[in-house]
Amino acid sequence: MSGRRRLGLVAAGATILAAAPISSIFDSYTWLMECLLTVGLIAGVAVGARTLRFPAWAQALGMIVMLLLTLTWLFPSGEEFLIPTPSTFGHFAELFTQAGQDTRSYGVPVPDRPGLLFVTVLGIGAVAIAVDLLTVVARKPALAGLPMLAIYSVPVAVYVDSVPVLPFIIGAFGFLWLLVSDNIDRVRRFGRRFTGDGRDVDVWEPSPLAAAGRRLGVVGVVAAVLLPLLVPTISGGLLSQLTQSGSGVGVGPGTGSGGRINLFASLSGQLSQTEVAELVRLKTDENTPYYLRFGVADQLSINGFGSTAPTGETVTQGLPDPRTATAAGSFSEHRAEVEISDKLTQGMLPLYQNTVGLDGLQNGWSFDDNQQVVFSSRRSTRDLNYSFDYVRARYTPALLRQAEPLDRDDPIVRRNTAHPDDATVSALVRRIVAGKQNDYDKIRALYEYFSTKNGFTYRLSTQPIANSSEISAFLQTKVGYCQQYAAALAWMAREAGIPARVAFGFTRGEKEGDTYVITNRNAHAWTEIYLKGFGWIPFDATPASSVAGAARSDYAPDVDQQAPTATASESAAAPGADPSAAAGGVERPDRPDFNDQAAAGSTGSSTSALSGTALLIIALAALLIALLLVPALRRVLVRRHRHAVTAPKEPKVRSLEGPGDIVVTAEVVKARADAHAAWDELMDTMVDFRIPIDPSETPRVTAQRLINDAVLLDEPAAAANLLGTAEERARYARKPLEGQELTVALGRVRRGLARSANRRTRLAAVLMPPSVLMRWRLGLADASARLVGAGGRLRETLAKASPRRLLPHRTR
Amino acid sequence: MTTPTWDEPGGPMTGEEFRAATQAIMSNIEQVIEGKGATVRLALAVLLAEGHLLIEDVPGVGKTKLAKALARSIDCSVRRIQFTPDLLPSDVTGVSVYNQETRDFEFKPGAVFANLVVGDEINRASPKTQSALLECMEERQVTVDGTTYELQAPFMVIATQNPIEMEGTYPLPEAQRDRFTARIAMGYPDPRAELAMLSGHGAHDPLNDLRAVTDAATVRRLIATVRDVHAADAVQQYAIALVTATREAPELRLGASPRSTLQMIRTAKAVAALEGRDYVLPDDLQALAVPVLAHRIIPTADAQLNRRTTDAIVSEIVHRLPLPHDRGRSPYDTRNGGSATNQYESRGR
Repeated sequence: MSGRRRLGLVAAGATILAAAPISSIFDSYTWLMECLLTVGLIAGVAVGARTLRFPAWAQALGMIVMLLLTLTWLFPSGEEFLIPTPSTFGHFAELFTQAGQDTRSYGVPVPDRPGLLFVTVLGIGAVAIAVDLLTVVARKPALAGLPMLAIYSVPVAVYVDSVPVLPFIIGAFGFLWLLVSDNIDRVRRFGRRFTGDGRDVDVWEPSPLAAAGRRLGVVGVVAAVLLPLLVPTISGGLLSQLTQSGSGVGVGPGTGSGGRINLFASLSGQLSQTEVAELVRLKTDENTPYYLRFGVADQLSINGFGSTAPTGETVTQGLPDPRTATAAGSFSEHRAEVEISDKLTQGMLPLYQNTVGLDGLQNGWSFDDNQQVVFSSRRSTRDLNYSFDYVRARYTPALLRQAEPLDRDDPIVRRNTAHPDDATVSALVRRIVAGKQNDYDKIRALYEYFSTKNGFTYRLSTQPIANSSEISAFLQTKVGYCQQYAAALAWMAREAGIPARVAFGFTRGEKEGDTYVITNRNAHAWTEIYLKGFGWIPFDATPASSVAGAARSDYAPDVDQQAPTATASESAAAPGADPSAAAGGVERPDRPDFNDQAAAGSTGSSTSALSGTALLIIALAALLIALLLVPALRRVLVRRHRHAVTAPKEPKVRSLEGPGDIVVTAEVVKARADAHAAWDELMDTMVDFRIPIDPSETPRVTAQRLINDAVLLDEPAAAANLLGTAEERARYARKPLEGQELTVALGRVRRGLARSANRRTRLAAVLMPPSVLMRWRLGLADASARLVGAGGRLRETLAKASPRRLLPHRTR
Repeated sequence: MTTPTWDEPGGPMTGEEFRAATQAIMSNIEQVIEGKGATVRLALAVLLAEGHLLIEDVPGVGKTKLAKALARSIDCSVRRIQFTPDLLPSDVTGVSVYNQETRDFEFKPGAVFANLVVGDEINRASPKTQSALLECMEERQVTVDGTTYELQAPFMVIATQNPIEMEGTYPLPEAQRDRFTARIAMGYPDPRAELAMLSGHGAHDPLNDLRAVTDAATVRRLIATVRDVHAADAVQQYAIALVTATREAPELRLGASPRSTLQMIRTAKAVAALEGRDYVLPDDLQALAVPVLAHRIIPTADAQLNRRTTDAIVSEIVHRLPLPHDRGRSPYDTRNGGSATNQYESRGR
C-alpha cells in the first residue's frame, strides 16, 4: 500500500483515538459505534479518491458528501431515502436545538440523546476530514493536532473538576502515531545511498542507518518526556498553577489531585517571586479595611493543611447576610470596587469577609457558604472588574467572651477541629490554655503565644510547609512566615477544641490616594476561628511589623506592641486595625532587639547549615577521591598479588613429553610461576608508562625494545634483560631461571621508567594506571560484544518466527 | 670405515665441545667469505638440521665459494655437479653400465654419492634433470634400475642458483624447492669486506689454503646434539601457526607444506644450539621464517602484480601473528577481539 493511502488510514485511526475523551461525557458507547462508522466511511472515500487520483478539492468534497450521507442515514427524518432532502436539513436544525436544550438539562454523563449524538458525530466527522486533509494532502500532521485538541476541549469545558487523564493519553497516542507514521518515511530514507541524479538506490532494502535513525527517534522521545520531569520547578509560581486548574484550559493533571489547589505552595510562590506585579486595585469607603480573602484551607491531616474543592450555588441567587446569623457585634456596611490586573488568573474571587452583594460579574461564579468563598471552575479573575457590598463586623473582647460553648456534634465543629496527634503540640496547647475559662480567652492565649518574646522570628526564606510534622517543627524552631504562623495557630486552636482554618488572601496593600494597590508581595495567610454565635473570626498571628499592609483587630491586638489601651478600649467605634502596624517602616522600641535576635538566629542556623553543607561536600569529595583512587588501588593489589610468594605446589605430572629430561619439581613450578608473574607485572608497568605492547614480540625482543624506547641504562637495563630471560626460560626452556631477585628487578625497571618518563605519564601511572583502565575497557568491550552477539542470535530466532518472511519479496 | 646409518648419528656432545666444533667450522669458512657471519651460520645450521641449502643470488657474490668452503671445512666426500642445460639425470644419480669382464651390469654411482653435494647453477639444468635430485634429497637414497642405494650420512645438497629472472634459467619445480630446507641470499659484501677481499684474493685464492677442521663423524655427533635441543609446546605451536598463516594468507596461492614445519623446527634447533642454548626460542623461528618459508610459497597473481615478494609477505605474517604461550592469550592482544578474561588462568604447566 502506498504511503499516502496508509497515512490516510492512520489519520482516521488517530481521529478515533483522539475522540476517546468523549467517553467521559456519554453514559453508553453508542456514540463510539456511530463515530467509528462515520470516520471509517470518510476514510474509505478518501482512500478511494486517492486511488483514482482525484485532485485535493475533489477528495475534500467527497469526504464532506460522505459525512452528510452518513448523518442522513444515522439521523433520518423519515422522509428521505438515503439522499438528504430539504426536510433532512430541517431535521438537523431541530437536532441542533434539541442538543442545546440537552446540554442545559442534563449533567454529565449524559444518556444517548439524538441531538447530542448528532452533534458528536458531526463534530468528529468534521475533525476526521480536517485531520485527513492536513495530514495526507497538506502533509502537515502536526497541525492536525489542533482539531484533535478541539475534541478534547469538550469534556474540559463540560466538567467542573478536572478531566480524567487516561482518555487524554489515548488521544495523545493517536497524535503521536500520526506524527510517527508521517516521519517514518523520512527516517527510512536516512542513510540511504542515492544516485547522482537524486534517485535512491535499493529503496526497499533495510538500511542499518535507518535503524539507527529509528533508535535516535525513540531516544529523543524518551528524553523529551523524561527531561521535563527531572526539572522540578518548571511551573512553580501561583499564576501558572492557578491557570492550570482554575480556568480549566490546561490539559495536564493540574496541581494536586482532583483539581485541588495547594494554596500554601501558591502563597510561597507569590511571596518569593523576585518581580513585584500589581494584582489588584481596590477602592472602598471603609477607612481601615481588613484583608481581602479568596480561599481557605480547612482540612488538617498528617499532610498538613489542605483545601477542599468549593461547592455551592451560583452567586446570582444571592449571598447570606451575616447579621441574621450572628448574635452581637457592631456592623457597618461598605462598598468596594475591585479592578484585577492581567497578572492574577485564578478561579477564586478576592473579596472582603461577609460580602452580601456582587455586581459586574458574568455567569459562572458560585458561592461556597461554608468556606465563604466565591469561585468558578470556568471563569478566571483575569482583567475582571466588579464591585461588592460587604458588612464589616467589629467585636470587642468582652463581647467575644460571651460566646456560648461549642456544640461538639455540630458538623462545623467536627470538621474543623480534626487534627493529627502530636504529643508536643498537645502538651504545648494544654500548658498555654490552662486556666482559661472560655473559647475567646483560650484562643487569645494561643494567639499571644506567637510573640517575639517567646522567640518567634519572621523569615520569608523558610521552606513552605508540606506536612504536619513541619508545622510542629515550626513550634520548635520558631522561624517562619505567615503560612507557618497561620497553620500553627489553626492547629493549636483545633487542639484546644476550637474550630479553626487557614484563610488565604491579600493584606491591605499600599494606599495611593483612595485606592489600595495590592501586589504579589501582599499575598498572605491567616487563621480564622469559629466562635458560636459569631461565625468565623480572623486572627493574624504573623508579626505585623514584618508584613506589609498588616492589620489588627482590637480583639486580637498586636502582641509585640502590648498597648494596655488595646484591650481597655471597649468602644465599638475604635479603629479595628492598628494603623501604625501597616508597614514595617515604623521604628519600635523593641525593634533593634528583634533585629538582633533575627540576625543572631539567622547566623546561628546558617553556621550549622554551612557546616552541614561543608560536611556533605567533604563527604562527596572524599567519595569522589575514593572512586578516583579505585584504579590505583586495583593496580597496587594486582602488584601485591604478583609479588606475593606463590605457594609451592606438588606437581601432578612428574614427567612430560619428549625424552623425559624435563624435571618437574616444586621449585621449578614455582620459578616458572614467579617468572610469569614478574613478566605480567612488567607488561602492566610498560602499559602504565605508555610503552606499547606488541603481542607478536618475543620476551627477548620486548625487553630489548623496552631498553631502547625508555632509554634504560645500566641497572634498569640489566633488570629488564633479566626479566626477559626469566620469562623466556620459563616459557621455552627445560629449566627456568632460579634464585633470581625478580621483584627487585621489577622495582629497578619501574624506577628506570619513571626516571625517563615525563611527569604527566608518571602521575598517570600511579593514579590512573592505564593497564587497569585498559583491562576494564577490554572487559567491558568483551561483555558488550557478548551482549550484541546474544541479541543477534535472539533476533535471528525471532526472525524465523516472523510472518513477514512468508510475504513475497517487495520490489519496486 | 663402516657406513653409519642415518638414524645412528652418534652420541651427543657437551655444550663446550659443540661450541668449539661449530666455531672452528665457521671461522674456517669466514676466512674465505668475509663479513657474512650470519649467512655462514645459517648455512651451518642447515647442515646440522640435516637439511639442504639453496643459495640464490646474482652472479659473482660468492655463492659457489660459500658452498665449496663449507664442503672443504669438513673432512668428508664432496662432489660437485655443474648443472648445464644438457645434463642428464643419470649424470646425477649414476648409471648401470655393462662390465665386459664380469659380464654383468655394474652400477656407476653418480655425483650424489657423497656427504656434501654442491650443485652449481642448479636452475640451468632442465626440470627433468633437476627431478633426479628429488628422491635423494628427501629419502637419502637413490633408486636406479630397480635397485635402491643408500646415501651416506651426513648428506647435504648445497645448490646455487641465479634468480629466475636471469636468462637461460628454468624455475625449480615446487616439489624440488620444497626439499630445500632454506634458501639464503648472499647479498653484496660491505665495502670494508670487499676491500679485504681484494687485498686477500689478489695474490691467490684462499680457498686453496682451506683445510678441513672436522670430519663426518663429528658432524654426526653435532647433528645428534642438535636433535636433543628442546622445543617447547609453545614454540611448536608458534611454528604451526606461522605455517598455517601462510596457507591462509589471501595473498598466497600456495602455502608452506607440513615438511616445512618440521624443517623449520629442526633448523631452529640448530640455530639455538649454535647460540649455545638447549632450547628453541620463538625468536629463532622468527629469524628463520623468511629463509625457510619464503622459497616454498607462491603468491597470487594479484600479489605478483603488486610486486609483493614472498619475503615481504612472510615478514608481514611474522609481524602480524601474535605469539602463543602456554598461558592462554596475552591480555594486551586486541587484534582479534582480544580477551582480557583469562589472563590469570592456567599459569605454568
